[in-house]
Amino acid sequence: MTSGLALRMMAREVRGASGKIAFFVSCLAVGVAAVVAVSGLSNGIEAGLRHEARQLLAADLSVRAEKAMTERVTQLVRELVASRPGAGTTLVRELATVVSVPGASGSPGPSALVLLKAVGPEYPFYGAVTTEPASPLTLLLDDDGVLVAPELAEKLRLTVGSTLKIGGEGFVVRGRIVSEPDKMSAPLALGPRVMLSLGGFARTGLEAFGSRIERTVLIKLGPADGAAEANAAAQKLRGALPEAAGVRVQTYTDAQPGLRDGLKWASRFLGLVALVSLILGGIGVSQTVRAWLASRFDGIAVLKCLGVRPREVVLLYTVETALLGLAGSCAGAAIATGLLAVAPGLLAGLLPAIPIAAWQPGAVLRGIGLGTGVALLFSVAPLSALRRVPPLRVLRRDAEPLSPGWLARGGVALALVSGIFAAAWLQSGSVKVAALFAAGMVASAALLAGAARLLTRGMARIARERVRVTVRHGLAAVARPGAGTLPAVTALGLGVLVVVAIGLVDRGLTSRLRADLPKNAPNIFLVDMQSDQWPQVRTILERGGASEIRSVPIVNARLTSIDGVPAAELAKRGPDEGRRKWILTREQNLTYLDTLPEDNVVVEGKLWSDPDHAEISIERDFAKDMGASVGSKLVYDVQGVPLELTVTSLRTVDWKSFGINFFLVVEPGVLDRAPQMRVAAARVAAGGEQALQDRLAADVPNVTMLKVREIVEKVAALLTRLGKGIRFVGTFSIVAGIAILAGAVGATASRRGREVALLKTLGVTRWGIVAMFAIEFALTGLVAGTIGTVAGSVLAWGVLTRAMEIDWTWRPVFLTVAPLATVAMSVLAGIAASAGALRRRPIEVLRSE
Amino acid sequence: MPTPRIQLRGLTRRLPSGNRLLTIVDRIDLSIVAGEFVAVLGPSGSGKSTLLALMAGLDRPSEGEVLLDGRPIQDLSEDDLALVRRRMIGFVFQSFQLLSNLTARENVLLPLELAGTAGAGDRADSLLAAVGLGERGHHYPSQLSGGEQQRVALARAFGPRPPILLADEPTGNLDRATGQIVLDTLEGLRRDSGTTLVLVTHDADVAKLADRRIHLRDGRIEREDTRVGEPVA
Repeated sequence: MTSGLALRMMAREVRGASGKIAFFVSCLAVGVAAVVAVSGLSNGIEAGLRHEARQLLAADLSVRAEKAMTERVTQLVRELVASRPGAGTTLVRELATVVSVPGASGSPGPSALVLLKAVGPEYPFYGAVTTEPASPLTLLLDDDGVLVAPELAEKLRLTVGSTLKIGGEGFVVRGRIVSEPDKMSAPLALGPRVMLSLGGFARTGLEAFGSRIERTVLIKLGPADGAAEANAAAQKLRGALPEAAGVRVQTYTDAQPGLRDGLKWASRFLGLVALVSLILGGIGVSQTVRAWLASRFDGIAVLKCLGVRPREVVLLYTVETALLGLAGSCAGAAIATGLLAVAPGLLAGLLPAIPIAAWQPGAVLRGIGLGTGVALLFSVAPLSALRRVPPLRVLRRDAEPLSPGWLARGGVALALVSGIFAAAWLQSGSVKVAALFAAGMVASAALLAGAARLLTRGMARIARERVRVTVRHGLAAVARPGAGTLPAVTALGLGVLVVVAIGLVDRGLTSRLRADLPKNAPNIFLVDMQSDQWPQVRTILERGGASEIRSVPIVNARLTSIDGVPAAELAKRGPDEGRRKWILTREQNLTYLDTLPEDNVVVEGKLWSDPDHAEISIERDFAKDMGASVGSKLVYDVQGVPLELTVTSLRTVDWKSFGINFFLVVEPGVLDRAPQMRVAAARVAAGGEQALQDRLAADVPNVTMLKVREIVEKVAALLTRLGKGIRFVGTFSIVAGIAILAGAVGATASRRGREVALLKTLGVTRWGIVAMFAIEFALTGLVAGTIGTVAGSVLAWGVLTRAMEIDWTWRPVFLTVAPLATVAMSVLAGIAASAGALRRRPIEVLRSE
Repeated sequence: MPTPRIQLRGLTRRLPSGNRLLTIVDRIDLSIVAGEFVAVLGPSGSGKSTLLALMAGLDRPSEGEVLLDGRPIQDLSEDDLALVRRRMIGFVFQSFQLLSNLTARENVLLPLELAGTAGAGDRADSLLAAVGLGERGHHYPSQLSGGEQQRVALARAFGPRPPILLADEPTGNLDRATGQIVLDTLEGLRRDSGTTLVLVTHDADVAKLADRRIHLRDGRIEREDTRVGEPVA
């Protein structure tokens, strides 16, 4: 057969099959749209980050540290700048602190927690800070001026010319910050921005010992320097600085590595959720292709009689399926591109404020590839049956295709599982995740298919004669051969599973965060407190009505060795990232206590039991990560002084108590004279927090008060918004499931039409027939909804209790509504898909018989 | 003696029916020469259609041989059998078996295109004209009457000038007058092309047109006679 003839035959074949083609295309389009939307959004953000990279760093290179930079770092930066003509540096300081407006007649003015940013005169090297009123930054930010975020201006009723107190010093508000080049959308920011000059910052006195300040040196290379020079310079700096220096060097080409990592994980997770929709679409495709080819058996037999070879028939329909798959995938990609065009507006605040292009060729190619692949994969079984259509059918209509052997069935099953695994691998980038996904899909599908089979068998055997005719007919319809119950239950059930699992995890996580704090748990924390300020702070807390007041000292120290092995060497033995690396290379907070709080339980060794050595008690999991046990000798560098500590006990800590707790607790008397800060916690009656913060801001302005409830609310709000995004992607699964149910009904339209005609002839009213159909679809929905809800709950239980360590809470309303909603959707979709059959007049059908 | 166009040797077909095997065609020996018109007659269930299916390679014999131009076909693969049909056999069926998604002209065109016939379009048009449907080529089968559909099927069957034409009750679904038109057309086309025709029917009047009549009963040849009614020796 020539390719021209094959093309002509394909074109002729699709004529008059517009309904089936529309369904085929819709099934795929829904899933492909989900895949392309997720991948496209991820690619778009990635591309946006890279495109805006210089502005997002405001420099070519940055060097960051949470402590004052050592002379060595400063020297290296100086040498780098000196070696590049036209290069320059500027400094940035960032910290969270509480600011206030002056009070009247002795009472403190209102205060707010803010993110303070002190910038040098050259800031930013790239991009610009947009202000209102518009004016150059250097003019606005003299040593007395500050710029504030609009939300702070609103909260504290600040206008241009207002006074704002920072660290107890007064500043003049010069305007509002409309945008900053290097500030991404930060849904979890502790507070709004306040910007001032380095000179102004020096006036605040906030840069005291132990303050949590992020210090950044922004470096601009020479005008001729590009990415290669920036990377080479960063490499040189990283190589020259020991890991223990606690300095992070970043170039603009790194383009927000933290955000991109998060993006990568989010896109992998959502990519798998989208893949579920696509696989459900595959079930729909399989069903459509099966029905389509079954209706073509007579024609195929004729073709074989006319001399078309079986393999030519298979090839013809395979190419046709692939082309339809391509069409469906292109439709899905077009829908996703439309969604991406409106996504930045819909998801504002959740996405970084960068331009995101709607046209993402990489994502479109991925979607089209996956969509076409899934269409072919799920059509293997019906397509392979074409070889077995006997040409004898032209003489005997009852000559059906021979059943495939077990080898053929096994081959098809293997191809399906392998294909799902490969698609999951592509979407997740992980073999392990892909294997788990494929196993989960197969298990869920098998469970749902088994339930569907039980339903059909059960309905076939049930004593239907005892029930009313409407119910009897509805029950019988589920069990009749070719009813499409199995694919409908499987697809709809999988959709419900996904949505229920997402919903339950989202609810579990959010309600855990929003749950009332344990009784007597502190709801405020005070940080950045100098040791000598504690008596004054304590008095303020007591006068403010605070209870459960507790304060402990904090000493910063860096681990030098464990049992004589240098920490740097131990760090090299493990993976290059993760908590172990962090423990072994970063500064840690130590405290000293006589007795442990109630939420600490010694599980190994004995607290303060060795009179001959300085002792340390370590949280059990932390000790495991660092590689220490009872008896280990740890050497810490405490502000330049070496200190050997013996591990004499390991503890568990109930972190959910929200108390002040430490991984590392040293026995009293060892660190008393070390340079230290204090942290305090207390419980304040609802409504008393703001007044207390205002008083603290007025009297001890360097002390920062953190409100637990406010932070928890912010996290919960963020999770709610993220949950909405995830549920949106998950909704594609339900849509796909419903479409497949409707498709299953549509595939039986001719049979239903005949049935309706006969029933009407026998005197059943249209509403009576609607009731019969409703019972059939309700049963399908009930089984799919129940199994999907149970399986989704099991999945959510696993994620919440095992991965997130959150207690499982039964949600009877949710668990009841989910199957009922499935029943309702199933009935509505089924009846809607049967509308054509219901409308037909008996004579039309009976004449055509 | 020339090689028969169709030769059946000890042809037997058994099919499972419940727990036992039913013999549909039972040890049939038959030779049909090129250009001959043979009618196969017999009551329902006598094995007429199965015999036709075995001749065309649509079904495989349980025993025996089918030779077309001296070449056995019973052991060929499905793909090779399809090629044999493409090159050698045309079909006409009782239920017309036109492809419903193709127009009348496209139905006629299809085997010509498969055979790679030059000027396929012109041939299709002339065949449609020959069967009296020159103006109806753009109609779909559902827009044609039964007689018209069968004439389209005849045009399709004769399109690639097959040496053999197998017809299964071609007038079975038609009224007598329409059936006569179809038969006249069939006979005219056969004469013009010299095609060997095997026609299955239970209608004695139709069978009268044949050069030879094979009477089947219970899967076996009961008797044969010629056009003039003389028994074949």
